[in-house]
Amino acid sequence: MKKFYSLILLLGVLVCASNVYAQNMSDMRLNEVLVTNTEGFEDDYGYRSGWIELFNTSYGTVDIAGCFLSTDPDNLTMYRIPKGDVLTKVQPRQHILFWADGVANRGTFHLGFTLDNAKELIFTAADGRTVIDRVVFPALDTNKSYGRKVDGVGSVSEIGAVYKSFRNSKLEAEAKADTSTEHGWIKMDNPTPSTNNATLDGESKSAMMAQSDPYGIFLTLTAMCVTFLALAILFLVFKQIGKFHIKKKSENAVKAVEGTKNSAKADTSGQVSAETYAAISMAIHMFMQENEAHDFEDTILTINKVSRTYSPWSSKIYTLRETPQLRK
Amino acid sequence: MVYEASILDNLNQFLMYTGFANVTIAHIIMILIGLVFIYLAITKDWEPMLLIPIGFGILIGNIPLFPGLNVGVYEQGSVLNIFYQGVQQGWYPPLIFLGIGAMTDFSALISNPKLMLIGAAAQFGIFGAYTVALALGFSPSEAGAIGIIGGADGPTAIFLSGRLAPDLMGAIAVSAYSYMALVPVIQPPIMKLLTTEKERLIKMKAPRAVSPTEKRLFPIVGFLLTAFIVPSGIPLLGMLFFGNLIKESGVTKRLANTASGPLVDVITILIGITVGCSTQADKFLQWSSVKIFILGAFSFVVATFAGVLFVKFFNLFLKEGNKINPLIGNAGVSAVPDAARVSNNVGLEFDKSNYLLMHAMGPNVAGVIGSAVAAGILLAFLA
Repeated sequence: MKKFYSLILLLGVLVCASNVYAQNMSDMRLNEVLVTNTEGFEDDYGYRSGWIELFNTSYGTVDIAGCFLSTDPDNLTMYRIPKGDVLTKVQPRQHILFWADGVANRGTFHLGFTLDNAKELIFTAADGRTVIDRVVFPALDTNKSYGRKVDGVGSVSEIGAVYKSFRNSKLEAEAKADTSTEHGWIKMDNPTPSTNNATLDGESKSAMMAQSDPYGIFLTLTAMCVTFLALAILFLVFKQIGKFHIKKKSENAVKAVEGTKNSAKADTSGQVSAETYAAISMAIHMFMQENEAHDFEDTILTINKVSRTYSPWSSKIYTLRETPQLRK
Repeated sequence: MVYEASILDNLNQFLMYTGFANVTIAHIIMILIGLVFIYLAITKDWEPMLLIPIGFGILIGNIPLFPGLNVGVYEQGSVLNIFYQGVQQGWYPPLIFLGIGAMTDFSALISNPKLMLIGAAAQFGIFGAYTVALALGFSPSEAGAIGIIGGADGPTAIFLSGRLAPDLMGAIAVSAYSYMALVPVIQPPIMKLLTTEKERLIKMKAPRAVSPTEKRLFPIVGFLLTAFIVPSGIPLLGMLFFGNLIKESGVTKRLANTASGPLVDVITILIGITVGCSTQADKFLQWSSVKIFILGAFSFVVATFAGVLFVKFFNLFLKEGNKINPLIGNAGVSAVPDAARVSNNVGLEFDKSNYLLMHAMGPNVAGVIGSAVAAGILLAFLA
């Protein structure tokens, strides 16, 4: 039985571990792609080439080292993102750019292929099989890109998620059927490498609240309702738990009383009666009194501190280094 | 002569580094405030565990400094600044909540769970102060941070103000702790004003004995229910209920002892001293701080009103033998266990045999949960 529980525990740990992995990698999205670059963004060498932008949709850092980028569905491992480069750790809600210049020896972010004849981009996990995200992009004009309207949001990511997790077969079917539409992606006249595709509304929640609820009445009512709801649910649950325990306690008490009655009946049926116990107790009591036996001793117990406090642990001599002896 | 001139130059230069050369009236005022805190803590025994560290922290934080010595609390990388990160990043308050959970006995609340609703009603002080703060010109996030003073919970006030209005945190924390110390002064007049002679004499049923199973279930069920409703309150609620579970589980005595003893003591020292340090005169002595102190007092008053009036309203629906003494309504403001002690003392003033302490502990600890929930709501709406 213990082995069985150990096996279940091990399986649980493995499932959790796989989920942790999924939470990291599955948060990455292909975000924007530009095929022909003649007058746009330059790489560190001063060259212009096509590029692919990835976006970390999560609120934690994701390391994409070991993952693959490809333009061929039959060869998902066209370019492996090298390990050992700290720059492959993508910060929360940040972008990372890969140059599709076909010269991989220029650095981590230079792919070993170009996008000249490509129609599709695939981002694959480190196992080389699990597709995290993919996009089929249309023919693009020079210096025009194809990207998500809002960073990390769009239908293609759903396909990626389904491929990754296989949790929702209906969603998978719908998403596969929907690959042609790819809603959420648009052709962009003004490419935005390494920056947000759409400038999101920068207004803080506080500023929005100041406009929508300047006197704070709605927030007050909402918050008080939620606070009451939370504690009212707790009240109802513990009222029931309390009732259950009181009922159980009274049932146990009834059982105990019945048990006592039964044992009393058993006693009267022939073995030892209560009077007998009383007589025995009285006899023992008198015997103890006659023999001056007593429960309480009148001896005084004094605990003195040991005067010799020496211990090898506190001895100074053991903390000193021995004097070296001269060899003659 | 050259040596003498050199020594004089050095002395002059050193003088420029001393506090005497840089002192201003504002520094003196803040140092006096710190001394008053220490005086109140020692002579009046008002929240000494908090007022002594905060008071001394005010002294530390208001020694006039020559800028650039890298010793001030706001100078990045200084020792005090490193201590201050626990306040700024908000990890001291959850650790304090861990200790509170490990110290708190929720039996009074479990035996009479309807008292939880008083803890919810008293949170009206937070939102009452929020609306008034908005009217006084504070932004919603600042108003939310100020309003939480009404929760009468220092760690929650620090946690929320650190997120919503870091610039006001010093004033908010000092205000929250000051009014918590003043609970025995603020609450009794309101309690007497709102209750009749007959209501003050209500004797409540003795709380029933709570089984260990119920005590163990409370932190688990309590956490799951409240956290699912207000996930943004997880840091506070999670640590509070976790602390209580290690206390009630019966098998983690060492952890409970550490959480409720040495750990909470260490964090109390650090939070007190750093909050005190953060009240540097140039940041603290502003008109907004005065407004915060006024709003803090207002929030405590409103919270006490709401708690007592809610009990009176609740009594309308309760049978004769089950009625609640409205004098425990004030305890819903949290401020454990001072507010419960106030209920007990006021109750004894009118009936020497009416001990309300155990009954008041119910809404008192419910107030801790309620203020954590309210903080989570404000965080979700305003952060």
